[in-house]
Amino acid sequence: MATATASVDTAVGKPVVLAKPEGQWTIVLRRFRRHRLAIVSLTVIVAIFIASLITPLIAPFPRDAVNPTLRFSLPMTPSAEPGKIHVLGTDHVGRDTFTRLLYAARITLSVAVIVATLSTLVGMAVGALAGYYRGVIDAALMRILEFMSAIPTFPILLILASVLNQDPKLLPFPDFLVNFVSAIMLIDPQKESRSVLVVIFVITLFGWTGAARLMRGMVLSVRERDFIESARSLGANNWWIILRHVVPNAFPPLIVAYTLALADGLTAEVALSFLGLGITDPTPTWGNMLNFSTQFMLTHPWAPLIPGIPVVLCSLAFNFIGDGLRDALDPRLKM
Amino acid sequence: MTTYLIRRLFVIVVMAFIVAFVSFVLLSIAPGGPLQEVYALQSTTMRKDPDLIERTMKRYDLDIFLIPRFMRWLMGHPRGPIEIGGQKFFSDLQIGCLKEGRAQLVYPDGRVVEVDCEKPVFLKDLEGRPVSNGILMLDFGRSTQILREQPVMRLFESRIVNTLLLMGISTFLSIMIAVPIGIISAVKQYSRFDYTVTTLAFIGSGMPTLFMGIMGILIFAILFKEAGLPYLPAGTAESPRDTFIPVFGMVKAGSFFDRLWHLVLPVMILTIFNLAQWSRFIRSSMLEVLRQDYVRTARAKGLIERVVIVKHAMRNALIPFVTLLAGVLPALFGGAIITESVFNYPGMGRLFVASLTAGDYNVAIGFILISTFLVLIGYLLSDVLYTVVDPRIRLS
Repeated sequence: MATATASVDTAVGKPVVLAKPEGQWTIVLRRFRRHRLAIVSLTVIVAIFIASLITPLIAPFPRDAVNPTLRFSLPMTPSAEPGKIHVLGTDHVGRDTFTRLLYAARITLSVAVIVATLSTLVGMAVGALAGYYRGVIDAALMRILEFMSAIPTFPILLILASVLNQDPKLLPFPDFLVNFVSAIMLIDPQKESRSVLVVIFVITLFGWTGAARLMRGMVLSVRERDFIESARSLGANNWWIILRHVVPNAFPPLIVAYTLALADGLTAEVALSFLGLGITDPTPTWGNMLNFSTQFMLTHPWAPLIPGIPVVLCSLAFNFIGDGLRDALDPRLKM
Repeated sequence: MTTYLIRRLFVIVVMAFIVAFVSFVLLSIAPGGPLQEVYALQSTTMRKDPDLIERTMKRYDLDIFLIPRFMRWLMGHPRGPIEIGGQKFFSDLQIGCLKEGRAQLVYPDGRVVEVDCEKPVFLKDLEGRPVSNGILMLDFGRSTQILREQPVMRLFESRIVNTLLLMGISTFLSIMIAVPIGIISAVKQYSRFDYTVTTLAFIGSGMPTLFMGIMGILIFAILFKEAGLPYLPAGTAESPRDTFIPVFGMVKAGSFFDRLWHLVLPVMILTIFNLAQWSRFIRSSMLEVLRQDYVRTARAKGLIERVVIVKHAMRNALIPFVTLLAGVLPALFGGAIITESVFNYPGMGRLFVASLTAGDYNVAIGFILISTFLVLIGYLLSDVLYTVVDPRIRLS
């Protein structure tokens, strides 16, 4: 888009800058700002992300510090250490809930972000290749997509997670991945990384199909357009066309899909860990915190709300942001 | 049409077979299963019993190679040497290995063969061994952990009624409520009703069922009970003993009312969840139809609005909904895994999760096989139904 700025000399001699025409992203941003719920959601998400980023600084207790004399204590109970309080109480073995909630936020949100990013990237790549080259690749992809949509995904995901979690020899993860997740999630690389990686792997394995289908459709419609023809006649090769013309055009729906994938990744992790087949104690996640707190729900009814509310907040917030982005990027898509 | 159906059924069988085989392989190479317990027992007790491991392996066919084991599970064969006219063939075919190691086999005719197995298993050893009747006879083998030595099918039978009740009622309610809500909010687009419905539906579909279930238990089971109001049970399908509920009085354990009372909360949660998604779906498909030319034509002909909406628009708007309902059939069987787990409801979904945590793989694999089969049948049904409700579409 051409940015036409003109300066005119006035009598005083100061150049006057005329109004710049709005760029595409300025319009999108303005439209997005009008979506009040999306803005609120974005604030919530940013706040939770910042809290999870500075977790080691603000967490009042060590993550796994156990105090057996202080189990199921109520919020604001003074701790055994003088001057410290358990802001949100303690759990069933006497660990500080607030501290664990912060660490869990870091783990759960990282899993959601990694899963969403990976599955969107994989889906984009596969969808673009299939849509652009057609032929055998496309036929193979469509068969795979059909197959994936025709099997009961969630039960198979559970089986895979349970099997992979039980046998470390079955799918060894390379060291750099192990170190990567343990570094960003502040977990022990030897003992805890594996179940996190298994969860990421399993959810991504079943999560990339949506993005692939979307990307393929976009590529199919874009590749027939005139500007692709002209790009090719100017000597552009396939990679250039895919990366510089097809991907940017397919971007708006993909960004919406990405936000919704964040919500899906989050709920999938929570569901897996809640069922005890995902990330297991002592590694805290919102899912397994929910698991333990619901087990003692009849005696301590309010406890599940502590990990539950952040889950709902994030899940709804991702949905609202996706909705706001959809309205902002393409008003025609508005539901 | 007939060739189409035959082709589709063939694909269904092949796909169910692939899914079953992959899950079987996965679960076979996983640790756990019946042997895990035996090993645990061996490491704690002083008395070592090498026989126990071998007996357990024999009992669960664990000494047989993967492919013959899968075949025995799938169709109950091979059961021993093949007999043709009183003569036994292939009786010395090695099909498994009870104990790894090296051994020399000396055949009656004097041949000596070195094998990588200390105690090989031959086809003739399979004679007289208990075997499943194969899945065609609806025999999915025996449970190894949850209900030891009982057929998996018996476990399924005890749970499936609960799941059918739960899923059937909630699906029925969801359809009955979602269709009118979706239609009305599309017809009165941008009205206050429409805004309320779309906002609630959006929140409802964005909120995890897990949390809705927990909130349900907190409010209706715990807070209501403390407040002395008529409360709902927090889980399971039946009370263990007679209970007193305010206003309603004494409820006999196991009575019809008791079971109904236990269904209310899970049905409510599932219905809200389905309702949120389906009403959105119906609304947008109705909006699409209302923009069509034939609706304008119907109005221009002077038909009254009710006829236009019910006869011309609604019928067409519900066509895509048929596809969506294809997902209902497997859900009826499989239940809602999360909801059943939250409410500790003894249904199929809960059984599946329990089988995975306990390492009772025959149960898990039976569940997967049946649900895959039902998913595929569901898709086929929806495709066929599509041609019924929409004559423009032909299957070929």
